[in-house]
Amino acid sequence: MSPLLTDVLILVAKIFLIVNGLLMAAAYLVYFERKISAWIQNRIGPNRVGPLGLFQSFADVFKLLMKEDIIPAMADKKFHFIAPIISIGVAMAVYAVIPFGDSFFIGDKEVFMTVAPGINIGLLFVLAMSSVGVYGITLAGWSSNNKYSLLGGLRSAAQMISYELSMGLSLIGVLMIAGSLNLTDIVHAQSGGKWNIFLQPIAFIIFLVASFAETNRTPFDLPEAEPELVGGYHTEYSGMKFGVFFLAEYANMVTASAMMVLLFLGGWEMPFLYEQLALPVGSPILAAVQFGVFAAKLVPILFFFIWVRWSIPRFRYDQLMNLGWKVMLPLALANILVTGVVMVLLKHFGFIN
Amino acid sequence: MPQITIDGQRIETSAGKTIIEAAQENGITIPHFCWHPALSVSGNCRMCLVNTGFPRKAPDGTFERDADGNNVIGWGPKLSIACATPVADGMVIDTQGDKTEHAQNAVMEFLLINHPLDCPICDEAGQCKLQEYEFLHSKGKSRFDEKKNHKDKRVPLGPNVMFDAERCISCSRCIRFADEVATQPVLTFVDRGDHVTIETFPGTQFDSPYSMNVIDICPVGALTSIDFRFTSRVWEMSFTDSICPGCSRGCNIKVGVRNNEILRLEPRTNMHVNTYWMCDDARLNQYKFVNENRLSGAMIRSGNTLVPATWEIAAEKAAKLLHSYKPSEIMILGSARATNEDNFLLSRLSHKILKTTHIDFLHHTDNDFADKLLRTSDRTANAHGAMEIGIKQHHGVSMDNLVEKIKNHSIKAVYVIDEHVADNPELANALSLVECLIVHASNPTSLTIMAHVLFATSTYAETEGTFTNMNKRVQYLMPAVATLDNERIAGLEMSRWDKFGARNDRWSQGVRRDCKPGWEIIQLIANHLGAGWHFSDAESVFKELSIDVKGFHGMSYELLQEYQGITLGTTDHSDVKAVVYESHIFKPN
Amino acid sequence: MNVEKNTEKNRLNFWERIYLPEIARGLGLTFKQMLKPKMTRQYPEEKWEPTGSYRGRPVLVLEEDGERCVACSLCSRVCPALAIEVQAGETTKEKERYPVKFEINMLRCIYCGFCEEVCPEEAIIMSKDYELIFTNQEDAILGKDKLLIPIAQLQDRLEFLRQYR
Repeated sequence: MSPLLTDVLILVAKIFLIVNGLLMAAAYLVYFERKISAWIQNRIGPNRVGPLGLFQSFADVFKLLMKEDIIPAMADKKFHFIAPIISIGVAMAVYAVIPFGDSFFIGDKEVFMTVAPGINIGLLFVLAMSSVGVYGITLAGWSSNNKYSLLGGLRSAAQMISYELSMGLSLIGVLMIAGSLNLTDIVHAQSGGKWNIFLQPIAFIIFLVASFAETNRTPFDLPEAEPELVGGYHTEYSGMKFGVFFLAEYANMVTASAMMVLLFLGGWEMPFLYEQLALPVGSPILAAVQFGVFAAKLVPILFFFIWVRWSIPRFRYDQLMNLGWKVMLPLALANILVTGVVMVLLKHFGFIN
Repeated sequence: MPQITIDGQRIETSAGKTIIEAAQENGITIPHFCWHPALSVSGNCRMCLVNTGFPRKAPDGTFERDADGNNVIGWGPKLSIACATPVADGMVIDTQGDKTEHAQNAVMEFLLINHPLDCPICDEAGQCKLQEYEFLHSKGKSRFDEKKNHKDKRVPLGPNVMFDAERCISCSRCIRFADEVATQPVLTFVDRGDHVTIETFPGTQFDSPYSMNVIDICPVGALTSIDFRFTSRVWEMSFTDSICPGCSRGCNIKVGVRNNEILRLEPRTNMHVNTYWMCDDARLNQYKFVNENRLSGAMIRSGNTLVPATWEIAAEKAAKLLHSYKPSEIMILGSARATNEDNFLLSRLSHKILKTTHIDFLHHTDNDFADKLLRTSDRTANAHGAMEIGIKQHHGVSMDNLVEKIKNHSIKAVYVIDEHVADNPELANALSLVECLIVHASNPTSLTIMAHVLFATSTYAETEGTFTNMNKRVQYLMPAVATLDNERIAGLEMSRWDKFGARNDRWSQGVRRDCKPGWEIIQLIANHLGAGWHFSDAESVFKELSIDVKGFHGMSYELLQEYQGITLGTTDHSDVKAVVYESHIFKPN
Repeated sequence: MNVEKNTEKNRLNFWERIYLPEIARGLGLTFKQMLKPKMTRQYPEEKWEPTGSYRGRPVLVLEEDGERCVACSLCSRVCPALAIEVQAGETTKEKERYPVKFEINMLRCIYCGFCEEVCPEEAIIMSKDYELIFTNQEDAILGKDKLLIPIAQLQDRLEFLRQYR
């Protein structure tokens, strides 16, 4: 086999795994969302389809696929069609740069645990892509030619822009510590228990709140606020197009969680674990363990997302804007300042180089 | 002219009137059961007790005044019954005071002692005087805890009237009606006290042709119609003012409709025509032909059968047929059963479009039907209207020589509206020979079988229009039944069921028949002959008619409704309007 | 000025105003709920038997000698949803009148119980039947055959009604 063909095959396999894994994750997130909401409300939740209702998500997707796809007569058909594609496409594109572990070797072939390894602006790419996601929602709202959809789309745009700012700024501190935009480097910089959540707690809280807003999750789910806007930007969507928006929302949730794990929770780093295992660097087993660690950190955050949704009521629109501009933005700026000052001082006294 | 004061309202009335009459004429209703303006006064229900008195005079002959300067009234020692007390100048009457109210309460309690209170199964419920007064003039409590008297529940007094002795409050209205109006004195009270009941004399039955009017005047549900019994509750029906088409009297009637089906007819007071009554024959027969056995849509002859066609195609076919004959070969038969509007457009069609002078209409006379009260020998509703409009011409072919002319082939086409030839076999035979026979009809008859082009017309209950009765009184009739041409939402009377019924409710699925009023069909045909008429509704036709025909000058549907009909040629000096007495009115909702 | 101010500043202390501790408290509350026993009834397997006060499908009481109903149409008149249609007829029985046709359109019925309340004969009452499934509109119009229920099965409701007479 030529080296090029091998590369391409490995790439395709990775993409296949990620796309399918992501969709499965999204589907089961829906299941867990329903289960957890049921538990919080002293109910049992889905338990009819398959053992413990585990196939409920497939039944839902099957139902959505079977349903009539209605396009409103006065809608802009082109954009109405494109909007969900943008949403899901962007949600998936982010995974090109997300690493799930260190590279390993099969024979003498190095395999990276990311689709596009070595991108030195990985973090920037993620931020950029998540900003493009707003187009999907805004377009959906606008092209439906429905006042509720439009309001949902507009709210989404305003909210995304507002929170993106503090989100981006909150990460500056992390970057200053890691000194790199490459996500793998950022993870490595947190090795030995130096997780950014301990070094940058304020940044973590800001990032957490902002990612709730960025993924349109309660308490910031104003774009689809049911009591006010019927269904928000996806009011006029039915069948699998609606399903795609639904999946995109959950995919974004996974992305946000993954970012939190990578940036603040040390990614696949785990103190003492690897020393105890003493696996050789580059072995596939080590990579698998690293992925396991990554996933183990991911799941509680996803649970937290769902838990918050069923506990906290929705913000009012003015409260949302107040929080974004008057609290989070100054706080993020202050965080940068404090980080900078502390780093200069530490350097001055020679604690770090 | 005695002046009286009723409840503070000063009223000028004429001597000899009773209090209740004087009040009635001035729009004040004193509660009553047994009194009826058309019957003698019996004064046995005691419901109309009122407090009467006169201004007291001082010894010097001047009126006594109280501190406020008002007359001091010397009230009578006992209450008087308003129906039998004649008015006197200066009389003061109190119909609402404590004393009167107390008396009314007592009377109501007394009347209800033996009343079975079986309103749920009583046909009168909803328009019952006893129910109404129970709400208005009673405390609603009975102190009677003994056993109620039980009497016979189902006694037929005659072929059409069922008597329930328990419900009877012994007002004697029916007895007086039988004696005085129907002149068949067969009813009487038997027994005494709380056992009193009404019976026919042995060997007789109450079968007068007006017997069913006792059902209307009975203030309670003691007398019910065997024909209508339990068919519907009154509040489920809509009542539309209409005119009976049964004879040339033109009795004013109300048409009770539920689910687009006529369930009953009842008389409507019109003092100039039928006063308070109508005959049993009309009540029993004049609605059935609307409900059953109807023609539908337009039809064209093809070989030996009539095949359905659209209105347009049939009208075009009819026009083509008429066009293919010379004017002198066409005979137009108007109808004394059709409205003035239909006849007017037909006469226009013949004069202006077809240019034939052969126009006439059939008389249907039945001398056995006539009597002294209401029924007349002319069994058509609008013969005088047809005459006035000019459906009979002095030159040209008429009914007298039509048969002969058809037989010698000088008349080849005949256009007949709303007629039947069952009572004229000679004409029926002749009409079967014509080359072209265009017929309007609502029900299939021997005539419709012969037709070459057949149009289904609306009956009197489905069309807006006017009839002219034997006294040349033009009377307005409103559609009561919806057709495809004439939906209920477009101004027809509606019951609660009509208002809220949806397409999937069985109780609002009553059949909408495919028929049109005669004038609309005539206009369709005329327009295919190049007339270019644009009459949008019956009112626009009538407007044209009132301009065109002298007798109708100045009339309009509003005026006809307001004055309960206007005699031909008297629009400028029509009858004085009077307060209309209805024994009991169903108040919807 | 004797005006009492009630702004967020007045109402909330510092910790409440920065939200986070309160949010954590809320999350704690919901987490506690997760561990509590579940209330769900597994419906088709576990069925609920309503008490006499339950207003289910309206039915007609059937006695040994036929229905109680005298077709007075009061239920039909009082029905705010116009669900009931009655056609009366004459019978030779003592009550004179009986319903030839009695139809309740269950798609219109709102289970308000007015029909039961207005009925002078206690002939139409609300049953315990809450399992109403139809596959088309016509099936949802219940006629006398489906409405008449033997009186023995309706004792609970009749007893309940007796308390309030």
